[in-house]
Amino acid sequence: MNADTAGTRSSHLELEELIARANGQAADDRTREHLASCEQCRLEVSRWTLVADGVRGLADEAPEAAPPRRPSATGRRAWLAAAAAAVVLLGGVGYAVSRLTGHPPEAVLTSVSGCSGVRLASGTLERVNGRSLVIKTGGGQSVTVITKGSTKETVAGPLPGDITDGAPVIVLGPRSGGTVRAVSATVGLPPVGTGKGSLKQTPPPGWVSVRGTVADASSAGFSVMTPDGSRVRVVTSSSTFVVVPRASLSQLRAGVTTVAVGYAGGHRMLSALGVVQEPPGSIQVHINIAARGCSQASLASAIATALVSRG
Amino acid sequence: MNDPHGDAGAATFAVARDGACDDAALLRRIGQGDEDAMAAFYREHGRVVLGQVLLVTGERVLAEEILQDTMLAVWRGAGSFRGESSVRSWVISIARRQTRDRLRGQRLRLVDEAFLADQPSPGPGPEVTALDRAELAQVRGAIRELAPAHREVLGLAFGSGLSLPEVAGVLGIPVGTVKSRLTAARGALSRKLNEKGQSR
Repeated sequence: MNADTAGTRSSHLELEELIARANGQAADDRTREHLASCEQCRLEVSRWTLVADGVRGLADEAPEAAPPRRPSATGRRAWLAAAAAAVVLLGGVGYAVSRLTGHPPEAVLTSVSGCSGVRLASGTLERVNGRSLVIKTGGGQSVTVITKGSTKETVAGPLPGDITDGAPVIVLGPRSGGTVRAVSATVGLPPVGTGKGSLKQTPPPGWVSVRGTVADASSAGFSVMTPDGSRVRVVTSSSTFVVVPRASLSQLRAGVTTVAVGYAGGHRMLSALGVVQEPPGSIQVHINIAARGCSQASLASAIATALVSRG
Repeated sequence: MNDPHGDAGAATFAVARDGACDDAALLRRIGQGDEDAMAAFYREHGRVVLGQVLLVTGERVLAEEILQDTMLAVWRGAGSFRGESSVRSWVISIARRQTRDRLRGQRLRLVDEAFLADQPSPGPGPEVTALDRAELAQVRGAIRELAPAHREVLGLAFGSGLSLPEVAGVLGIPVGTVKSRLTAARGALSRKLNEKGQSR
């Protein structure tokens, strides 16, 4: 943090810290404490987060890389032809490899209707090893799920521990006096915006939707610092449904029902487009996964079915 | 993977299976002519490189050509990787050089040093309020209209998974200059939003 003019105490967050927050990196206790008390820094995080989301949104719009060109007569791109024979770049890689290996489709990886090449694995998360996960299916078989930077992890359920100070939040629930009883809380989405990655919620009559930044998080609830500077008290309970649409691998919980979709990568392996942890039987599946030639409705339906079957 | 065939396809995933993909090991295999390792490398880094190049050039076909030239350079030069930087920043540096070479002489200049003389950081000013009111879609549109150098530094900081020191390494400038360039980029973005009358 910057020191104040007297150099005796911290003042505002450094640009590195603001950018780290905008990039979704975990904050240390000191940073969280500062954010909870400093509106200026919360606003700065919010602004940088919007810029970061804009940049990432453009990256998400980037087309899949075209299949490599065939080699020229001089063989200048000979390796590209070899790569083309082995993979369909950036997305179809696992599927193509599994075809080449001669393995029949693994029973532990099921097809997704309407999504050519996309496979689904469901079961209980056994462990996380670096960027890979191990899911144990109902039949007791293990599936290794490989994630990468673009893999979307979503967690949902009664997860009050995922509501942390400084996080953008949208709370939905009935309001009584100055307090909102949170029926749902969506954590980590940009505080403003209606484009991709943002969330619109229309509250039922008598309910309110409050957007802002989490402060004073505790087991009983938290406050929402709204963009206009007001503070709204929110109470939570064991029935509060928390959704973290942009979770990190560290937020996945072992022993919890987990569904992964992606492309088969050989024997009991899945190269993941997305990983979802929601309570079995969830009515509304929260995903932000995209696959070429495949609608989100198809993915959501397949994931919901997998969750129901696990319930 | 208990692959009785021990084929090349299985090898493609051998690295990732051990946990975090060991990019350096992948590069060593590429340096030995392992085409499967090259395919795995492409899968690991291709999209990020493409996104960054596309952000800078704004031209899809050109970006894809630059991506392929970059990967060709990786294929040829993997043995020269000395581990002095992360593999991600190394490959993005290659892509940046390829982009610069392709754009040389064209109207689009990747680095306009006069422009970048890194206009002193304006710091938070009245224009930041445009960001406070902007919608995500508007921000995306405004980013597209920024100078290439500004799009580049924003892409490196937010779209490539690089730390600020790594961004500095890619751009060949001090970290402090990266910071002022980022701040200048955000200022330009805010002004762009104001110019377009998109603040409410």
